[in-house]
Formats: sequence, structure tokens, C-alpha cells
Amino acid sequence: MTLFDLARKNAWRKPLRTVLLMVSIAVAFLIYGLTASFLAGTQGAAGASDDLLGVTSAGGRTQPLPMAAMSRIAADPGVAAVGYVTRLRGFVDVEKNVVAISAADPDLLMAVNGKGLGLTPALVGAIGQGRDRVLVGRALAEAQGWSVGQRATITAFDTPREDGSRDWRFEIAGIFEGESAATDTYFMIARYDYVNAARARGKDTVDAFVVLPRMGVSPGELAAGIDTLFANSATPTRTQSEKQFLEAFLRQYADVGLIVNLVVGAAFVTLLMIVVNTMVFAVRERTFEIGVLKTLGFSRLGIMALILGETLFVFAVGGGIGLALAKLATILAGPTLGLVFSAPVLAKALVIIAVLGLATGALPAFNAMRTPIIKAFRTR
Amino acid sequence: MTQTPAPYIALSGVRKAYRIGGEMMPIFAGLDLAIPRGDFVAVMGPSGSGKSTLLNMLAGIDRPDAGTLSIGTSRLDQMGEAARSAWRAHNMGIVFQFYNLLPMLTAAENVELPLLLKPLSRKERRMRVEKVLDLVGLSGREKQYPAMMSGGQQQRIGIARAIVSDPGLLLCDEPTGDLDRKSADEVLDMLRFLNRELEKTIVMVTHDPQAALYARRTLHLDKGDFVEEKRAA
Ligand SMILES: Nc1ncnc2c1ncn2[C@@H]1O[C@H](COP(=O)(O)OP(=O)(O)OP(=O)(O)O)[C@@H](O)[C@H]1O
Ligand SMILES: [Mg+2]
Repeated sequence: MTLFDLARKNAWRKPLRTVLLMVSIAVAFLIYGLTASFLAGTQGAAGASDDLLGVTSAGGRTQPLPMAAMSRIAADPGVAAVGYVTRLRGFVDVEKNVVAISAADPDLLMAVNGKGLGLTPALVGAIGQGRDRVLVGRALAEAQGWSVGQRATITAFDTPREDGSRDWRFEIAGIFEGESAATDTYFMIARYDYVNAARARGKDTVDAFVVLPRMGVSPGELAAGIDTLFANSATPTRTQSEKQFLEAFLRQYADVGLIVNLVVGAAFVTLLMIVVNTMVFAVRERTFEIGVLKTLGFSRLGIMALILGETLFVFAVGGGIGLALAKLATILAGPTLGLVFSAPVLAKALVIIAVLGLATGALPAFNAMRTPIIKAFRTR
Repeated sequence: MTQTPAPYIALSGVRKAYRIGGEMMPIFAGLDLAIPRGDFVAVMGPSGSGKSTLLNMLAGIDRPDAGTLSIGTSRLDQMGEAARSAWRAHNMGIVFQFYNLLPMLTAAENVELPLLLKPLSRKERRMRVEKVLDLVGLSGREKQYPAMMSGGQQQRIGIARAIVSDPGLLLCDEPTGDLDRKSADEVLDMLRFLNRELEKTIVMVTHDPQAALYARRTLHLDKGDFVEEKRAA
């Protein structure tokens, strides 16, 4: 037996109480694991490149830029390649089932970000064979159950066709995988020439240019250079790294990171209260016994270690279960939802386990430490 | 001039009072006591006479308000809490009336508890536990939980726990107060054995005159002082 065995046995004296504590801890860490994985994954822009630059209108992302701006960007000596994207948002069958379409020039997209998206010459060749062909990201294809050769209809939210219809029909020419699990592949790539010709409004404009800086050129300086170029034009630009771009994009809806932190923070604070309260009572019930241990020669420090060991044990088991479940969820659903249970997520969770384990044990440990033996003996 | 050796336990001018309802109730007003090493003393006296208070002071879990209290070379009245707790771990074993075993630990684990405070290997700890369980006649019951044992057996576990770290001093507060005659005699035999054979100094508080007969001598405490002293035959 060791001091820690003793702490562990203490924890199991009221099995139901301990199991309930562990369940609430596991749930909190499951929530944490999932949300942190979400932030670490695609949606959180972690997989996005710091090098790629996105050029959008300074007036807001919904304002288009003229296609003509492309040649001026391409003329900058710091630019290795330029692509362009127009975004369509729509849905499949039901409005909840939102799908994003990036209409681009496949060859240019390949040159700019072929590696990041996992585009291959074969895929680019496939989409080139028909104007209404699309490439679908792996995550999106799996979520919708689409396969190559199938046709899909996307009803656009606010991009009507010239004929007044909002239904866009595409043929799936291929599926792209993305560079890694962290890459966002929950969208599809359509041909700009087709979309541009068929849409009723906004012809010959794009939502963004995507710029690949030349090797050795600082992305930050290049971004500033491009914005200077258009500063006095009719359409001033705002150039950001892809990462900043995605983060800003998410922030448009809400500051996801902040909301997630608030939710997780609230869960942990609640957990702290519950466990502290439970432990204060659990330890108070044992006041007499702690007096016995002190009589045997256990020091204040020993008593403190015993109680902290107990809360740490409860948190380690509960937190471990919660994180294991979160990990399992990211393995099972990770690709579709863009969840990445990364090493930093795990490391942060372990720190939280340790901090909460110690914090919840501190008050009861302090109480137990302070109670004089004589007083402890009078509790029975 | 003859040189008398310093007693093992020495109390001199010990005062102790408790505040009860705003008034100071003196328990001891200048208590003197000397117990030589290897003695076995029974302390008797009416309820409220201060027997437990005396024992608590000897155990270093309560302190005199004034006077000196030394055991061996340690001045317990001058030591802080941390020092007294370390002193307890090394010098004293205590046996309670209600055994005070931890219910979630087996017999062997209960006995092992005081050894967790010592730099001993797992194996050394196990050997010591086996040795004392054998001494109290309970080998083979290592894995039993206190709830499954009789009072007499539990008290023998309590004694094993008190002696496992081989302290020189054993303090017992009514060790047989909760036992039938037969179990009480077994426990008292064991204490006598520990005193006679292993040379433990024992101070035992008891209400039972029969139990006191096992001691070498009996002190009677009344109104905070010793009134007479009887030597056992
Ligand atoms: N911590 C305390 N606070 C206040 N009064 C106390 C405290 N401990 C003991 N007393 C009082 O001191 C007196 C002596 O108590 P003590 O427990 O030493 O008596 P005792 O001889 O052991 O009695 P018993 O035979 O009933 O065990 C009692 O009047 C008791 O109420
Ligand atoms: Mg008493």
C-alpha cells in the first residue's frame, strides 16, 4: 500500500458518489475535447495556411471585386500565382443541409493551392471535361453520400441563374482529399466560367483572389503591397493570410472561439463547484478518521497529500474517460466535422485535469489539515 | 549523593484548563508525574477526572497550559505541531477504546498505515506487518476487513498497528472498555507480554479494576491529582 492507494481507497468508499463525480467530470471533458478539437480542426482554421493570401474587398467580404483586378495583382513581382474564387452558398434538399461552392479556375487553383487541397492533375483534368462538372471535398462527399459520376442539385440562397431558377445542377467529376485531416474539405469546387456565365447578377466579379507569394517573399509585406495597389481604386482591397481570412470568416457569424471558451469555461466552473462541495462533505464525514491518522503521526502535509491525491484520482479517471470518448468521436466523425484531437488539445486538457484536481481538493484538504486532533475526536 | 536516573516520562507542574461556557475549568493545577522506562502504569479514576486529557498530553495531541512535559529526550510542551507529529510517528503507539481502524482497509493495510511514514520498501513493510500480526495471533487474517472481525480481534489489530513501527511507548485509552471479559483478558495478556518481553513502556487508562491488575502499578486520578498509588503484587 502507498499513500496514493490510501487516497484511491478513500475515493471508492462511496462508490455511487464517486461514479457520479467521475461521470460529470467525464462529460465536461468530453465537451471540452470535442469543442477544442473543433477549434483545432478545419473550422478553427488551424489547417489553413499562413502563407496563402486572400484578397477581398475592404468594404466587406460580401462585396465583390472586379475580375479585372487580377492582372494588376499578378503583375506584382512578389506574386508566384493568383487564383480567384466566387462563393455560392446553397443547400441540398433541405435548407439546413448547407453546402458551399467555390467557383474557380481549376488550373489556377491547382497552381495556387493544389497541394493544400489535395488536387491532382487527374482531378483537374476530370473537371475540365464538362462545364457543369464539380470536384467535391472528401468530407462533403461522405456527409452527402455522393460518389463520382453522380449528379447533384444545389439550391442557391442568393445566387439566381439567368433563367430565374436557383437550382444549380452539377455532375461530380472527382473527390479531393485535402492535404491532411485538418484541411477543410466540406465544400465543392465548380468552374468559374460556367457559374459566371449562368448567374443572373454580378458577372465578371469574384469574391476573393487567392495569392501564392513567391518563395522568400514575406506574406505580410506582400499583403500590404497589394492593398496599397488598390487603396485609391474604386474597389479598395483587404489582404489577409488564409488563416486570418478563415478566422475572420468564422467571426462573421459569431466569435466561435469565444463562445466555445465561455461554454467550456462555464462547464468547468460548475464542475469545480460540484466537486468542491461534494469533497468538502466527504472529507468532513471523515474528520474523526483524519484525527486518527494524525495521531498515528501523519503530518499536515501528509493529510493534504491524501486528499489532493483523492481529488486528482477522481479527476484523472473522469477526465481520462471524457478525453478518450472525445478522441473516439474525432476518429469516428472527425473527417466530416473537421475535428482534430491534436497534441496541444490533449496537453491543455491534462493541465486542466491537474489544476481542477488540485483546486477542488484544496479547500477540503485545508479544512482537514487545520482541524486539531482533539477537536476531530469530539466529532464522534 | 545517589544519582537517580531521569524518568522516561516526566511531568512537572502541569496545568491544564478548558474553557467551558465562558468559564475556565481547571483539570490539572500543577500535576507531577514520573514514569521510568519499561513501566506499565494503569491510570484509574472517575469520569471527568482528566484521564484522557493526561493521555492526550502524553500523546502530544494536546498541550499543557503550563509546566513541563518530557518523554525521553523530547520536551513535548515546547514542540510545535509538526515536530510532535513526527515524534508520534517514531516514538509512540496508541490503542483506542473503539479500535479506530479504517473500514476500507484490510487488517494488514490498517497495520501498515504507520509504516507509510517511514522510508521502508514495500517488502520491508510487508515483513514487519506479518511479524506483528503473528505476534498478536492474527496471521492468516491479513485480507479481512475490520467489519468482519470480532471486537477482540479488531483490538488486536489496533495493538498491531500501535507497535508496528516499534515505538518505545504505548498509550492505551480504555483498550478493553468495549470488550467481553475473555477478549479483554487476551488483549491485556498481550499488553503484559509487550511490557515484559519487548520492554515497551505502557500507560493504560481503564475503568476496570481487573484490567489494572495486569499493570505493574496503578495511579488513581481524582479531581486533577493522584490520590494514592498501589503496587501490583
Ligand atoms: N477539548 C475539551 N474542551 C473542553 N472541555 C474538555 C475537553 N476535553 C476534556 N474536557 C473536559 O475536561 C474534563 C476531563 O476530561 P477527560 O476526558 O480527560 O476525562 P476522563 O477522565 O477521560 O473521563 P472519562 O472516564 O469519562 O473518559 C471533563 O470535564 C471534560 O468535559
Ligand atoms: Mg476518557
